[in-house]
Amino acid sequence: MFNNLFKKIFNKIGIHTIRTKLIISFLVIGLLPILLFGLLSFNLYRGAINDRISDYSQEMVNRMERDLEDYINEIESFLSREQDFYINQFIKLTQVNDFRNNRKYAFRIWEDFNNLKQMKPGLEDIAITFQDGRRISSYGTFNIDIEDFKDKMYSNLSGKIFFTSPYKSYFQQEVITIVSSYYPEIAEENVLISADIDLDVLANLTDFNLGEKSYFLIADRNGDIIYHPDQEQIGERSLLYNAGFPNRKLNINGEQYILTSTFSRATGWYLISMASADEVESELNYITNLTVYITAIILILIILLTLYLSSSLSKPIQKLQELTHRASENDLSVKIDISGDDEIAELGKSFNKMIRRINKLMEQNVKEQKLLRQLEMQSLDNQIKPHFIYNTLDLIIGLLENQDFDRATHMVEALGKFFRLSLSHGKEMVLIRNEIKHVKNYLFIQQFRHGEEYEYIIDIEDFEIMDKHIPKLILQPIVENAIYHGLLPAEQKGLIIVKGFRKDKNIYFKIVDNGVGIPTKKVEDINKILSGELKTDDQQKYFGLRNVDQRLKLMYGGSSGLKVESIKGEKTIVTIRIDQRGGK
Amino acid sequence: MENLFAKKNKIIFFLLIIIIFISVTMTAKAENNQEKVIQNEEITIAYVPRSLDNPIFLDAFEHAQEKAIDLGIKIEWVAPFAYNAKEQIKIIESLIVRKVDGMVVSVNNTPDYIEVINRAVDSGIAVATFDADAPDSKRLFHIGINNYQAGRVTATGLLEVLEAKNIDYKSKGKQLDTMIMTGVRGALNLDSRIEGFLDRVENTNLKVQDIVENQDSVNLSVELLEQYLQQNPNIDIIFFVGGWPFYVPAEALPNFQQWATNGGVAVGIDIFYDALLLQERGLLQYLVGQDMATMGSKGLSTLYNYIKYGAQPKEYIETGVEVANDDNLQRLLQTHRPWRVK
Repeated sequence: MFNNLFKKIFNKIGIHTIRTKLIISFLVIGLLPILLFGLLSFNLYRGAINDRISDYSQEMVNRMERDLEDYINEIESFLSREQDFYINQFIKLTQVNDFRNNRKYAFRIWEDFNNLKQMKPGLEDIAITFQDGRRISSYGTFNIDIEDFKDKMYSNLSGKIFFTSPYKSYFQQEVITIVSSYYPEIAEENVLISADIDLDVLANLTDFNLGEKSYFLIADRNGDIIYHPDQEQIGERSLLYNAGFPNRKLNINGEQYILTSTFSRATGWYLISMASADEVESELNYITNLTVYITAIILILIILLTLYLSSSLSKPIQKLQELTHRASENDLSVKIDISGDDEIAELGKSFNKMIRRINKLMEQNVKEQKLLRQLEMQSLDNQIKPHFIYNTLDLIIGLLENQDFDRATHMVEALGKFFRLSLSHGKEMVLIRNEIKHVKNYLFIQQFRHGEEYEYIIDIEDFEIMDKHIPKLILQPIVENAIYHGLLPAEQKGLIIVKGFRKDKNIYFKIVDNGVGIPTKKVEDINKILSGELKTDDQQKYFGLRNVDQRLKLMYGGSSGLKVESIKGEKTIVTIRIDQRGGK
Repeated sequence: MENLFAKKNKIIFFLLIIIIFISVTMTAKAENNQEKVIQNEEITIAYVPRSLDNPIFLDAFEHAQEKAIDLGIKIEWVAPFAYNAKEQIKIIESLIVRKVDGMVVSVNNTPDYIEVINRAVDSGIAVATFDADAPDSKRLFHIGINNYQAGRVTATGLLEVLEAKNIDYKSKGKQLDTMIMTGVRGALNLDSRIEGFLDRVENTNLKVQDIVENQDSVNLSVELLEQYLQQNPNIDIIFFVGGWPFYVPAEALPNFQQWATNGGVAVGIDIFYDALLLQERGLLQYLVGQDMATMGSKGLSTLYNYIKYGAQPKEYIETGVEVANDDNLQRLLQTHRPWRVK
């Protein structure tokens, strides 16, 4: 199914070379999984990133809440101190303006507050403030605007601790203040005990890296900003406030943000994370780019690999094709050199073997053709025996001298036909009809020459063979042997029968004479020589038989040829078998 | 005609009377208003000592507060707990921002201090110095001791001690190795004390081997003193330009105790209770003290008078020195009080 599909596709887009097909196939096989895998991974990663950012933001604000509450709890535990002798003494003596005895308590409080300040990073100052605004802190004693200070205060959920919004402290530092009331047992007036927290503490609490555009902010219950990386926004009402800071996605000045918040019960503050969705996207873009780059690199690798593979596969095929083409153009000197053990290498070896075989066959063919020509020529030579011609001509002269013009004419006519058919215009193959005519002419001439000492019968049983072609001069040498070696030595009147018939795919001729016959041993020798079982160095021995036999075997293969049978003193039968299936 | 003229004169006279009455009434009202504004105005004067951890300033702190009550003004006492020039300048800057009416500061005569004082003066704040002066600034006045003289007096007291102990300080053949411990070089008051001390001992065989700076830190001064005496136990004399290491009990100064027991002679400037205790135990032989209480009270009142009444003070107000020797030691121990909470 796929094979057909690919075939259709390749045919449709006009791709025919194996190399191009291989390249496209490898690319499709290599790229499709990568692209599918990349797309799937990207989508999975995209979902994971979004989830991770939300989870991370929530985790961050929760951690900020914990850190903030831990920090505030520590400050709170200090502010919510039980009765302190030195503070009580200081308050009492301050209220009565006993500076003389109070100075050592003032010194002690400075020292204590300073020590606490040193121990707690971000704790900018600790102070005790009287209701008239007099204050003692780690920086000394001074006065503040108590009403203004109280205006800044608001309580947390427990109502025990107060916070202020960010403001510039006495020493011009941006702080928030945590305030608690202190009721000295020895004085009627309560005082405020407070800790100034540097806004940098909040900055440190929110110092998590969410990205360049992402940020954290802290706002109170009313949405007023307590901490914001943009200091100008501190103290302003947050635009994000919407009856709290519910988690949501929102757009600010064209930027997409993921808002995640938590509420701190200890402080009454919202801790808000603003993660830039664009940065998440940019991270995804980064992943996308990475995926594209990796895919491109893999693509290049696949292309290179494909080129290499297709080249290594198609190059021997191309070479094979080129050499085959050359071989088809009769260049049989080609030899393919392909290393390896794969099918193409095997094909190359078979090709080389085939070329070697063709060359061998060609050489054999040339040799056989040459031999055939030689045999033909020898056969022709045999036809033009001078004494046959002289005798025949003498015979014709004698007839003319006897004014037996009719017979002379018949003789000349027969002789002419005999030679004409012998030459056959140089053709190698002749119709059986003509070969029979040729034998008839020969027998006519020889019968006349030898005083009609024998008769002959031409008997073609299957007349359709008359139009078949056979090599010329096949029958005449056998008939000649029958006359000279069978009939003439015999003292009785001889008979030669030439039979032609067809059996299976073979054409048979039997030349039978009732002459002296051949001894059995000789018959065996002749047949062995003809079959190749026995070699002889005498080229003239059984020349006629061997010539015909060799020519038939060259033309029709080993199954064709002659077979001699004889009964001494009775007859000799030479069978010519022409196996047409082996014909050239 | 005459009646007409008389009538006209009467009208003019009547108008003049009305104008004068209105003018007088309005002027009086204006003056009353002005007086009322001044009376209700809350003047705030800030004292900026070098640090809070140096108890020598506590006398000034106490008396400045008392004086503020007398004057009906607000006083602030602000400084870094331990001396730190940058922190102290930052505090002065915060006072400029808060627009206090005046400030009395103990500073160095160095460019950064001069710059911030001048900035305060330029912004309309009256600035005076106490304890340590910055005469190159635009400060209004300085209240304190003549530090050069204090140095000389200390040296004179030292020579008296040496003489009483039969230690030869005149013979050129013998040399009395001396170490001077000061706060920081560049503090004009401290440098002047050293100068006065050295001038007074110029023709003696005292030879200053080292001047050790403790950065105006009590803790560091103790540490440096103990280290120095461990490395230089044979030093003959120590001159403490200020009383930094005297705030700790004698037990916290083992090397110093040993050195004094072995005959070392120590003199110094600054008298306070703990220093007198050390003197009583024989670790210190002679002390010269400043009148820090006057620096607190008089400094405040002088600046107040300038702010409120425009009374131009003298540029230098001398508060005088006291000495602590064997003759008056017990009396001084009665009059000075411990500053530390026990």
